[in-house]
Amino acid sequence: MEPLKIVVTGPVGAGKSTLIRTLSETEVVDTDASASEVIGKPTTTVAMDYGTLYLGDQLLYLFGTPGQDRFDFMWEVLSEGALGLLLLIRGDRPEDFGLARRLLDYITSRQPVPYVLGVTRQDQPPVWGPEEVAPFFGVPAERVVGLNAKDPRSAVGPLVRLLELMIAEGQIA
Amino acid sequence: MARPATQIKRNFRCTNWFCGVLIVAIFGNLTHMSLDDLLPFLSSRDGALELFNLKRLPQVTLYFRKGQLHCVHLGNKPIDALQARSVIGELISARKGSFEFIPGAMAKSCPDVLDWPVDRILISITTTFDEYAQVADRLPHADTLFKLTHITVPDDTRLSDFWKRAHIYLQEGVSAQQLANKLGMPVDHTRFYLLKLQQLGAVAAGRAHKTQRQERRAGVAARLLGSLKKRFFGEGGAWSH
Repeated sequence: MEPLKIVVTGPVGAGKSTLIRTLSETEVVDTDASASEVIGKPTTTVAMDYGTLYLGDQLLYLFGTPGQDRFDFMWEVLSEGALGLLLLIRGDRPEDFGLARRLLDYITSRQPVPYVLGVTRQDQPPVWGPEEVAPFFGVPAERVVGLNAKDPRSAVGPLVRLLELMIAEGQIA
Repeated sequence: MARPATQIKRNFRCTNWFCGVLIVAIFGNLTHMSLDDLLPFLSSRDGALELFNLKRLPQVTLYFRKGQLHCVHLGNKPIDALQARSVIGELISARKGSFEFIPGAMAKSCPDVLDWPVDRILISITTTFDEYAQVADRLPHADTLFKLTHITVPDDTRLSDFWKRAHIYLQEGVSAQQLANKLGMPVDHTRFYLLKLQQLGAVAAGRAHKTQRQERRAGVAARLLGSLKKRFFGEGGAWSH
């Protein structure tokens, strides 16, 4: 059976690597390196994160894209043919929302990929909740999910929502 | 140093005997005197300010009449209000280029008469480009496709000029890069205008149409969802947030 691909993207520090580590059942291949600029954490992903998840006999690849703008060419390459796109944003960093919207608009206007927004750090208030984030991104409220990327039962939430929306859209179609 | 009169390309007509013939008295370099220094000085004169040797633009000619910017030519061709805003924005930030003022010169051709009061140009365009600098890191990607969400002309004249030219293309869906090519203006400026229209809710990023392959994946999603819930929440477990 052909493996399927889920792409996890978002600005620097949104929790992409954490989410993939939380969900992956194999050791995550990461390419973290010391940050060459001040981004609020000592290391950052410079190529991509890669994890796997078996659901029944179906293999899912989890790809995390680097958040820095200069890697924007990878956003489209990785999103092509993906089962879905998870865009993560940190609920306590509204200053990153503009960049995240830019990223979401770019990918989804060019690739017909189903998407869900995940708002991280919901366990560390004060944070923006999903219902406040949705209007900023101009997306329906059901496409935004709050989560804690370190907790497996919470981290899987955006993926569950993505699959639910795909099923609902398939039924409508 | 001023160009010899023989090198001045005559793309204007004259209203006085000394126009463009005698020594050009007002000349210089944008390195030492920027356009925002020059404009107030020229607001009381009739004539043409030619700017050349510019880094990012061909020769630009600004025609002044009765305290107003009457017309703008880019590379000896008249341009419309939208392009004129972009060109003046570029000129205000330009620090390389030469200029000469030809008293009494008037445009031979000016299909889009601007007649902008000179004292307001600086405020309007400088404000726009200050705002641009503030949002530079949030501008949409040049290849993001945008579509109209509703057809209402924005009140702000800075946006309405852009709207009038761009809305036909936005009905079908167009990127900042494509618009820049169609409208003859820098892509960073079209990105800025699209961001402003997006903030007003007048345009939104178009979502790519689903393919048949994506439609077929609804069945795959149903199969995966059961396994996913079982794995993370156990038999009969449900996710709720």
